[in-house]
Amino acid sequence: MIRFENVGLRYESGPEVLRDVTFTLERGSFHFLTGPSGAGKTSLLRLMFLDHKPSRGLITMFDRPIATLTRHELPDIRREIGVVFQDFRLIAHLTAYENVALPLRARGKSEDSYRADVIELLQWVGMGERLNALPSTLSGGEKQRVAIARAVMGRPRLLIADEPTGNVDAEMGNRLLHLFVELNRLGTSILIATHDRELIARNPAPALVLHKGEVEIHG
Amino acid sequence: MVEVPMTGTARRSLLARLFVETRSVMPAAGSTGLSLVLVIATMCFLASLTLGAVLAVNHATQSWTRQLSGALTVEIRAVEGQDPEMQRDAALTVLSKTPGILTAKTLTRDDVAALIQPWLGADIAREDLPFPQLIDVRVDTAAPPDLVALAAALEKSAPGVKLDSHREWLDDINGAANAAQGLSYAILAIITLTTIAIVTFATRAGLLANHEIVELLHLIGARDNFIASEIQRHFLLLGLRGGVLGLALSLLAFGGMALAMNSRSFLVSMPTIQPWTLTSLLLVPVMAALVSVITARMTVMRGLGRMM
Repeated sequence: MIRFENVGLRYESGPEVLRDVTFTLERGSFHFLTGPSGAGKTSLLRLMFLDHKPSRGLITMFDRPIATLTRHELPDIRREIGVVFQDFRLIAHLTAYENVALPLRARGKSEDSYRADVIELLQWVGMGERLNALPSTLSGGEKQRVAIARAVMGRPRLLIADEPTGNVDAEMGNRLLHLFVELNRLGTSILIATHDRELIARNPAPALVLHKGEVEIHG
Repeated sequence: MVEVPMTGTARRSLLARLFVETRSVMPAAGSTGLSLVLVIATMCFLASLTLGAVLAVNHATQSWTRQLSGALTVEIRAVEGQDPEMQRDAALTVLSKTPGILTAKTLTRDDVAALIQPWLGADIAREDLPFPQLIDVRVDTAAPPDLVALAAALEKSAPGVKLDSHREWLDDINGAANAAQGLSYAILAIITLTTIAIVTFATRAGLLANHEIVELLHLIGARDNFIASEIQRHFLLLGLRGGVLGLALSLLAFGGMALAMNSRSFLVSMPTIQPWTLTSLLLVPVMAALVSVITARMTVMRGLGRMM
């Protein structure tokens, strides 16, 4: 379903930050992505959510080689990928409701068509009472849950979360992990980038381990 | 019961709601939205004032030219051996037979004395001064007479009769008016170019400050046209609001100047508001908004083009 074959990445004329990365994520799989700081996790994630082109190698997303896609086709692939950014990237002047509705608004859907779904999703992540709250008034855990709700709003086939428990306490970390497991059970492929070994230990799943730009698959 | 989602509009400041709230994914108030509105308002204020000044100069020029080109004066000097009344009648006969002459009125000694009073004072002994006889002639400006032929005919009609067409005055005034017009058009051009440059710069700065939003929309699968449309709409509304605010301030300034000019004597009077004058002024905020929209679209599309 998602395949990286001998993928390499360098930024401009700098050193290669990813080298010969090869792995496959099957439909409905659950993986962690881990490795020391500077190992290339963020770069690998950027390739996965189509923020950057690889310098070499072949990336296939949902059985479609990325290199063959036109600029007009790329948004359709991006809509299949939900991303929970490490820094949340919530739009500061939009409410929690408006932030979560953004992916559907970006697809040109009318508010009437998604209003109930957005409310239901925010209730599902425990934010039903904070629909009108601006991000500046939310705690780290609440922002994280809004970011997760936004990432899954468009019913993506792949959910990528970058350090989703990095800004929350252990209890909130467990609750968020439970959310990801639940989403995976509903058929969404999950890739969680994390430093948190305890998180990985609590939910045994295959891990892509990055070290100096190269990837190994554990488990 | 589920809380009904409200937009953030209700909680935002009155200033933001009045001038910068656009219901866009781009932020409304804050450092960029309000600044852009104020910059556009200021530049539109200056551009409208300059345009108003150009219109006032044009109005004054036309008024002076119309007044001078519609009037002639026939001067009849006293000539020894000539009967003044016969000189005058001969001149009037020529004028009455000339096409393009609307009226010809002989000025009385009191009228002439009033004309020279500013130079000689009110105490002049009128009977002692050899005032020339003057005939005030009004001509049809749409079909004016041949002034060269008329001057020749008048001089021929009786000795001492001379036509003053105010040509020298008219040429001087036309020259001054043309120079004033040229200067005001040059200032208008500079203000227009400066407005375009500043609005362009402010729009780019606003976009740069919010480039993360553009990136986010791109990454969640928004198409380039959707992103550009959202941002264009935002800048269109900001541009129009700034422009209308600037225009309103300039109209207030014009109103104040008109009041001041009505209470005093000014060489340059305020132009009356004609439909085309109003249209010209209304175009200022529209142009500012268009510049902002075009800049925003070009900047966004260029930025998106650099993304994958």
